[in-house]
Amino acid sequence: MSTSETEYLEGKASEEYEHGWSTDIESETTPKGLSEDIVRYISDRKNEPEWLLDWRLKAYEYFTDLLESGHYPDWAHLDYERPDFQDMHYFSAPKDKANYESLDEVPQEILDTFERLGIPLEEQKALTGVAVDAVMDSVSVATTFKEKLKEKGVIFKSFGEAARDHPVIVRQHLGSVVPYTDNLYAALNSAVFSDGSFVYVPEGVECPMELSTYFRMNEKGTGQFERTLIVAEPGAYVSYLEGCTAPMRKETQLHAAVVELIAHEDSEIKYSTIQNWYPGDEEGNGGIYNLVTKRGICKGDNSKISWTQLETGSAVTQKYPSVILAGDDTVGEFYSVAFTKGHQQADTGTKMQHIGKDTKSTIISKGISADVADNSYRGLVKVGKNADDARNFSQCDSMLLGPDCGAHTYPYIESANPSAQIEHEATTSKVGEDQMFYCHQRGLGEEEALKLIVNGFCKEILQELPMEFAVEAKELLAIELEGSVG
Amino acid sequence: MTTALDTDSDPKDRFISAFEVNHGQTLNGTSASISKQREDAIEHFAELGIPTNDLELWKYTNIAKIIDRPYTLPLGAEPPSVDESDIAPFLIDDMNAHRVVLVNGRVDESLSDIGELPSGVVVSSLAQAGDEHPDVVEEHYGRYADYEDDAMTALNTAFVQDGAFAYVPSGTIVEKPIFFLHITASDEDLFLQPRHLFVVEDGAIAKIVEAQHALTDAQTFTNTVGEAFVGERGNLDHYLFQDEGHSASQVHTRAAQQKDNSVYSTQAVTYTGEVIRNNATVEADGTFCESNLFGLVIGKDDMHVDNHTRMDHVQPDCNSNELYKHVLNDESTAVFNGKVYVARGSQRIDAYQQNDTLVMDNDAQIYTKPELEIYADDVECSHGATTGQVDEEGVFYLRSRGISERQARILMLQAFSEEVLSELGIDAFRDHVTELVRDRFATYV
Repeated sequence: MSTSETEYLEGKASEEYEHGWSTDIESETTPKGLSEDIVRYISDRKNEPEWLLDWRLKAYEYFTDLLESGHYPDWAHLDYERPDFQDMHYFSAPKDKANYESLDEVPQEILDTFERLGIPLEEQKALTGVAVDAVMDSVSVATTFKEKLKEKGVIFKSFGEAARDHPVIVRQHLGSVVPYTDNLYAALNSAVFSDGSFVYVPEGVECPMELSTYFRMNEKGTGQFERTLIVAEPGAYVSYLEGCTAPMRKETQLHAAVVELIAHEDSEIKYSTIQNWYPGDEEGNGGIYNLVTKRGICKGDNSKISWTQLETGSAVTQKYPSVILAGDDTVGEFYSVAFTKGHQQADTGTKMQHIGKDTKSTIISKGISADVADNSYRGLVKVGKNADDARNFSQCDSMLLGPDCGAHTYPYIESANPSAQIEHEATTSKVGEDQMFYCHQRGLGEEEALKLIVNGFCKEILQELPMEFAVEAKELLAIELEGSVG
Repeated sequence: MTTALDTDSDPKDRFISAFEVNHGQTLNGTSASISKQREDAIEHFAELGIPTNDLELWKYTNIAKIIDRPYTLPLGAEPPSVDESDIAPFLIDDMNAHRVVLVNGRVDESLSDIGELPSGVVVSSLAQAGDEHPDVVEEHYGRYADYEDDAMTALNTAFVQDGAFAYVPSGTIVEKPIFFLHITASDEDLFLQPRHLFVVEDGAIAKIVEAQHALTDAQTFTNTVGEAFVGERGNLDHYLFQDEGHSASQVHTRAAQQKDNSVYSTQAVTYTGEVIRNNATVEADGTFCESNLFGLVIGKDDMHVDNHTRMDHVQPDCNSNELYKHVLNDESTAVFNGKVYVARGSQRIDAYQQNDTLVMDNDAQIYTKPELEIYADDVECSHGATTGQVDEEGVFYLRSRGISERQARILMLQAFSEEVLSELGIDAFRDHVTELVRDRFATYV
C-alpha cells in the first residue's frame, strides 16, 4: 500500500461519527435491571390487554431459563463482551407524551434532531410523499399521512396503539413468525419490547406510499427493543422503509429488535433498511450492538417477500433477515450491502427455507471491509422434501480495503429434493488494480475512483432500494468510503 | 490379542479404560515421539470426548452413534490369515507399483511386493520405521495432524500401533507409484486405528495410492490418521480409493504440510461404505505452493459421506484448487464442508473451491457449506456450489444424436465425474477407478 493510501486510511479511522450527539429531552426511565416487575410495568404503562402481558411474561420466563442454562448465542464470527442484562434500562419514554395530529404539536427539539440527520419531516411530507412514523426512543411522536392511509384501509400505527385498537389481528400474528422461543434476543424482545410499528394492508390494496419509520435511541444506557409486525392480506402490496442513526454514546448500547412479516396469497412485502448507528470510537470502545431477528413468511401461494439492507453502522451487527417460502410459487429475495470499518464486526446473511413447490429465492450479498473490521456472510438455503422444482441463486462477494481486515463466507446449503436447483458462488478480492488504473487514466483521483468502483460493486443492491432511500444510501456509502482507499 | 470394549460404560470411557489397561504393554512404541504423544493424546481425548452433532464440525454426521457399538480393539500383532487369492480382486493389474499390503492396519510382508526402490527411499510399516529411521519419525510424526483439538486424531494418537510409512529423501524421484492396499479381514466387529506417515523431502517426487477394501461383512470402524510432508520443490500425489463395503464406517484424516515451491495433490474417491467422514487438511507453510484437493462421492443405498477440507494459507503467493463432486442415488447423504483460510499477511493467494452435486433420487440429501475465512486483502478467493439434476438439455442433445435415453444419462454422469477423475495422475489407477464408477452408473438407469 502506498503512503498516501495509508494516510487516507488513518484519516478515515480518526473521523468522528457524523450523527453523534444526544437530544435533550426529559425522559422517564425505569431503574436498571430486568425483572418480572419491569415487564409488568412496561405492559401497564402501555395500557396493554391482559393476553399481551401474559405473552410477555412467558417470554421473560423463557429468557431467564435460557440465560441461566448458559444458552448464549456465541456461535457467530463475532468477538464482543456479552451485555449485562441487569445493567441497562428497559423502558424510557419522552415526557411530552405521544400522539400528535399534526407536525405543529411535535416539540421543536425532535424536529431539529431529524433535521440534523438530514431527514426533515416537512420536506419528506411535501416532497417525497412518505408517511413517517417517528419513534423517539420508545413512544411514537409523529404520524403523518394517516388520513390518506385510512382511506385505503391501511393500518400504520405504533405497536402499542395497534395492540389496543386491533387486538384480534395483532394477537393472531404476533410471534407467529418469530416465536419468543426462537432465540435469546427474540425472547428478550418479546418480554420487554417498548414499541415499534404495526402495518396491516387489507385485501387487494396497494399501499399508496412508502411507509417509513426512523428509530432513534436516545436515553443513555437504554437498550431499544422495537417490534415490527407487517401483515399483507391477499393481493396487497406494501413497501416499508426502516432507517436508523443513533447519538454518540460512551457505553455500549444493546439493540435487539424483532421484525415479523406475513404475506398472504398474491401479496408482496418489500422491506428496506438503512442502518447507520454509532460504531464505537477508533479504539473500538462503545458502539451499538445490533442483534436483530428478522423473518418473513410467504404464507399464501404466489406471495413475495424482499429484504434489502444497507448496513454501515453499529459496533456489532448480527442479523439474518429470512424468508419461509411456505406457499407454492412464492419468492424470497435478500439484497444486502454490509460495510464495516474501524473495529466494526458484522455477521449477517439470510435463511431461505423452501417448503412449497416452485419456490424461488435470490440472495445477493456484498460485504466491504476496511481497517481491522471483520465482515461475515452466513446464510442457509434449505430445500424441504416436498419443495419440488425449488430454485435458488446466491452470490456473495466480498471486497477488502486494507491488509488487516477480514472477510468470511459461511453459506449452508441443505437439499432434500432432487428437483431443486441451487447455485451458490462467492468471491473475495480487493479492488482491482486494473480498475483503479483505468479510472486514474480517465483523470479520477484515488478516492473518487474508489467511490465509483464500490458504487458499481453495490449497484445491484442499491437499485433495489426505493428511490428516496437509494439517494440517501449512495450518499451514506460515499461518506463511509472517504479515506478508505486500499 | 484383542480387547473388547466395555459396552456398559459411556463410549468415551470405554476407550479411556482400554487405554489404561493396555498402556505400557501393547501400547508402548518403537519411537520416542510415538510413545510420548500417547499420554498427551489420551488426555486431550478425555477432554474433548467423542464428537456429537452439537459441534459445528459434526453437525450433519452422527459419528457418536456409530462409535457406540460393541467393537473389539485388535491390539495384538496377529493378523488373520489372508492369502494372495483374497487380495487378487483388489490388485490393479496394469499398475506397476511398489505394493504394500496392510491387513487390519498392520503391514503383511508376505503379501507385499515392494520391489526395487531408488536408493534411500524407504517404504515400510510405521512400527519398523520407528526402529530403523527414528530421526525421520521424530521430525515429522504427530506434527501435522492436530491431536490437541481433534478428538478422533487424539484417539488415534493414543492407540497408534502401526500403519504405512514412506520416505523419499532429497532430490529423489520414485517413478513407480507406491501402492498401499488396506484390507479389513475379521469376523469380529473391529475398531481399527492405522496411522500413516509420508515424507517427501526437498526436490523429491512421489505418487502414493491408497485403496481400502474389506473381506468381511462384520461391522468395522476405521479411524485413520495419515500425515504427509512435502519439502521445498517437492511433489506428492496422494490418492485414496474407499471401497470397504456397506458395513464399514470410518473417519479418515489426511493432514499435509508443504514447504516453498512444492505441489501437493490429493484425491479421495468414495465408492462404498456406511458412514464415512474424510478430513483433508493442507497447510501451505511456504511461498509459491500449489495445493490441489479433489473428491468424488458415488453414493448408493444409505451411504453417508462427509468430506471436510481445510486449506490453510499461512504464507503468501500460493495457489489452491479444490473440486468435490457428488452423485447421490437411493437414500445416500453427502456432506461437504470446505474451508479456505487465508492468514493475515498471506497476500497474493489464489484460492478456488467448487462443490457440485447431482441428486438422483427423492430420498438422497446433500448438505454443503463452502467457507472462506480471509484476513488478507490482495487475494483472489472464490467458491461455488451447485446442486441439481442431470441437465435435461444435455440429455436431449444426446438423444437427438441417436443415443438412447439410458445411454445418454450414463454419459452425462460420466462426464460429470470425469472432471474429478481426470485429475488422477496414474493412468492405470485412473482407468481402474473410472471403470468401477462407470459400472455403478450403469446400474442406475
